[in-house]
Amino acid sequence: MLKFVGRRLVQMAFLFFLFLSLVFFLLQAQPGDITSQFLNPEIPAEVREQIIARLGLDGSIWNQWWNYVTNFFSGNLGVSFSQYPRPVIDVIAERIPRTLFLFSFATLLSYVVGFSLGKRLAWKRGGFSEHAVTIGGVLLYTVFYPWFAVLMILFFASGLGWFPINGFLTPEFWRGAPLTGNEVFSMLLWTISAAALLAGATAIIARRQKERAGARWVRSIGYPATLLLFVGYWVARDEIRPYAWDIVHHSILPITTLALIAFAGVMLLTRGSMLETLKEDYILTAQAKGVPDKDIRDKHAARNALLPVVTSFVLGLAFIIGGGVVTETVFSWPGMGSLLLTATVIEDVPLATGALGFVGVLALFAHLIVDILYAVLDPRIRIQTGN
Amino acid sequence: MVTKEQSPLEEAAHVELEPGAALPESLWKVRIKLFWAGLRRNWSLFKENKIGLMGLIVILLFALMAIAHPIMRSVGPWQDDDVYDPVIGYDAPIENFEIVPTAADVVDPNSQMDVMTAQLWCFGSLPGEICEIPLQPAPPGNGHILGTDPLGRDIASQLTFSTRSAFMLGLIAAVVTVGVATTVGSIAAFYGGWLDTFLMRLADLVLLLPLIPILIVLSGLWTINLPLLGILIGVLSGFGGTAIVLKSQALSIKVKPFNDAARVSGGSNTHLIFKHIIPNVLPLSFLYMMFTVTDAVSLEATLSFFGLLNIDMSWGIMLNTAQSQGYLRTGLEFWWLLIPAGLAVTLLAAGFFFVGRAMDEVINPRLRSR
Amino acid sequence: MTAHESNILEVNNLVMNYETKEGMVSAVQDVSFSLPRGHSLGLVGESGCGKTSVALTLIGLQANNAKVLGGEVLLDGDDLLELDKEQMRLRRWTDVSMVFQGAMNSWNPVYTVGEQIREAMDIHWDPKPSAAEARAKTEELFGLVGINADMIDRYPHEFSGGMKQRAVIAMALSCDPKLIIADEPTTALDVIVQEQILEELRKIQHDLGMSIIYISHDIAVIAEITDLMGVMYAGKLVEIGSTKDIFARPRHPYAWLILSSTPSVTGPRRQLAPLEGEPPNLLDPPSGCRVHPRCPFATEKCVNEEPPLVEVESGHSIACWNPEQVPVGLAVGSSE
Repeated sequence: MLKFVGRRLVQMAFLFFLFLSLVFFLLQAQPGDITSQFLNPEIPAEVREQIIARLGLDGSIWNQWWNYVTNFFSGNLGVSFSQYPRPVIDVIAERIPRTLFLFSFATLLSYVVGFSLGKRLAWKRGGFSEHAVTIGGVLLYTVFYPWFAVLMILFFASGLGWFPINGFLTPEFWRGAPLTGNEVFSMLLWTISAAALLAGATAIIARRQKERAGARWVRSIGYPATLLLFVGYWVARDEIRPYAWDIVHHSILPITTLALIAFAGVMLLTRGSMLETLKEDYILTAQAKGVPDKDIRDKHAARNALLPVVTSFVLGLAFIIGGGVVTETVFSWPGMGSLLLTATVIEDVPLATGALGFVGVLALFAHLIVDILYAVLDPRIRIQTGN
Repeated sequence: MVTKEQSPLEEAAHVELEPGAALPESLWKVRIKLFWAGLRRNWSLFKENKIGLMGLIVILLFALMAIAHPIMRSVGPWQDDDVYDPVIGYDAPIENFEIVPTAADVVDPNSQMDVMTAQLWCFGSLPGEICEIPLQPAPPGNGHILGTDPLGRDIASQLTFSTRSAFMLGLIAAVVTVGVATTVGSIAAFYGGWLDTFLMRLADLVLLLPLIPILIVLSGLWTINLPLLGILIGVLSGFGGTAIVLKSQALSIKVKPFNDAARVSGGSNTHLIFKHIIPNVLPLSFLYMMFTVTDAVSLEATLSFFGLLNIDMSWGIMLNTAQSQGYLRTGLEFWWLLIPAGLAVTLLAAGFFFVGRAMDEVINPRLRSR
Repeated sequence: MTAHESNILEVNNLVMNYETKEGMVSAVQDVSFSLPRGHSLGLVGESGCGKTSVALTLIGLQANNAKVLGGEVLLDGDDLLELDKEQMRLRRWTDVSMVFQGAMNSWNPVYTVGEQIREAMDIHWDPKPSAAEARAKTEELFGLVGINADMIDRYPHEFSGGMKQRAVIAMALSCDPKLIIADEPTTALDVIVQEQILEELRKIQHDLGMSIIYISHDIAVIAEITDLMGVMYAGKLVEIGSTKDIFARPRHPYAWLILSSTPSVTGPRRQLAPLEGEPPNLLDPPSGCRVHPRCPFATEKCVNEEPPLVEVESGHSIACWNPEQVPVGLAVGSSE
């Protein structure tokens, strides 16, 4: 397994190198002097030369390319033009956790709900609900996303007033707050990650139990404990809680909107995959053994139908990341996606290149995680014994 | 008694072929008949998919819209350039407000306005005077079936005009994608070896990368117009998933015996690729063109919505105009600025998507419901 | 009708149709047979003769559009057709289990073989087995069918084809069923593995006193391992009796035709007489005796009236109006 991961990491590094180079050349190909936007045209020529040299823009294009790429791999992404002298990596580091938050939750939500609904839909053929949900799914799948996002805002935010219209938090509310937005957000992320790890550990330990009773015991302790710890923590932090809620409140609509779009594809795919799986012989065998319906659907059929769905995630990845960028922009949610647009519009090339590079990193890493997940789920990939 | 189905060739030639006999009709006539027979058969299969049919109807309706625009503008009711030009037209009904001293004095807000507000619109306003305010955007009515946009331009005219650019963009993107993908796939299949591996690894990378962020940055830094966007989309997607599919199709053809026959009779590599492999890969390519159009229409609309493209008018631009002037924040009050354009993008993209799916069922028998 | 004590299974006048778009398909028509405890019965016939439909009905897995219109299936005295869905589910595997055709695909690829066998035990054993108990039983079963015990925690794709089939047999025994149905147990296996499997099945029948029903279109397999044999055609049981008797002298024209078209390793050499024609369309089955279109001895009575199943000697019954027409020796084909 370790070898597998190692090999994939090397492949990823190579692919990323290609990608970064491609991005670099594309962006350098833009007409005009990069610095023209930012430098005062009045400054004397030698000073301009000095600045250009300092920014490393004086070498040949190949020189610049090589420097850029090697620097990137060592974490040096250059300096932002628009936020001079703030290093690009700082700006990105501030934004990445937010985008990861949005992306992870939207993906999780859409896949869990989409898969669950899809498998139930395939199991119980016919009936009004099947048609309704399928049509609804298709509508969500094909709708023009930015337009849909605007409609969601109009309906739920402006219309019903359940959510704020945009932004990461409400600035007026935060005047005099004991911590900054970033700090509270970090706290949120830490507690959520800790809870996730705990829940994951519970699941893994339970799975390894030989006895059914043992597994049940582990789960009945692990999951409630996780919940208790998480809720308990936030109940205790009285002063911070309203601020944390403000951030969460602002995230709900963007996450839901993105999840709705992604969910449709997952649901339709799961349904198709389930229908194929239900034709398999081992389903008949399970019925012959007297396995109850629900277990046949979940333990036998869905578990196998899951595999193509996980594979499809690799393709859906580009879709969700792109969707994430649009979501952040429409909702003015300050993540890496909206950074792309703002950096581009003000022609801050290092920042834009860095942001785009990181989008690539995100995509490649998610791909790696999916590959690992697939190996975990399909023993035929994991165990390669020939007979 | 079981009736034997005639092979397409026999069907087309209308005779029982005796081995060794000369063909009664010339070769090109037979080819055409085969083509029509194949088309009829595929059409009856396609028809079975109701959603695909709906998609086709939607596409045809849009095509009608695209044709309608120039007709309406030249000989129809939209002849007045000053009013109905989608980009530079202007029309705004005037609303008259009587000015009263204070807000408390306003009895009928539809025809009365206080001095303070009037100052914003009319210079030197005094109570008792009439303030004329042009209504931009105007709701449907007064010769504009879908109203006007914040700059006073006719929405319906914009809508139908943009249909043309949508189709054009779709066509360019689709042709370029298929061209690139077919070539890449055929070369990879044909030459194999490291070239194949490299191209396929590249395709994996392209598949993985989200197009929108890349295009956002590119269109922000370059000035991109419609044809260039089409080519860009085409090139970027052509190296991706479509190339992989077309390569396996080309591979399955490569091993067919007639390839060896052609080569034995002296065909060069390029000859083989262009005359044999590519024509057999084309039906599948055509299928993927549908999906490319879907993506292209959505991509362009998204980029225009963010104001990144150098295009005069498109559905995305319509939405961008409305949004940047703040008309979309107040709810559905200005629905004619929001609904028609967004619906148009959705429906056209969806139409091509469903047609593509239906064609998929025709070409891949595995997917058929029976 | 009360069952005879010594019969583990009695099927009486089973009638089953499939409802299709084109109409009702008469798949099983008035089939009756009995299986004494500890014996094996083979159902043979061409594709579509109804043997698999009968088998599926015995375990309650007939298709959704299958309608049982009459008859009873008495397993150890209880009529399985009277049970509702849930009752039948609880009886499966522990009363009657099944070994399906093409065992390779009987295994869910994402769970180990041990887990899948344990699943059956968890459902039917009362009280539920502990991990150790389940493992012990599985080891015992694997030993019975000749599989190494350390394969228990392996995944199906790590087994060879023959091993998979034997593991399926082991799983079928896991809840000590009263009856096992084996549907084409050796199809899709090479000849050497076939022999191994047949040996396993023979062993199970003799050592464990298991009652087994075999479904096959391969007469050779049936000849090897069954005590009793039933020949089916177009949904009807046309001949039933001891395998030895039927092979020695088939009395129904159809059985006679079938055996005439099959070579024998030990019997005299003769020209094979292949069977002409095709099985009928069960949407619109032939009138009277369903065999009559292909029967060389058909008379007018055969076209008009259906013959009942009649005992001609002890334990040997046939459904035919003119059995005396059937020659004692097998048919000899003409060389062209």
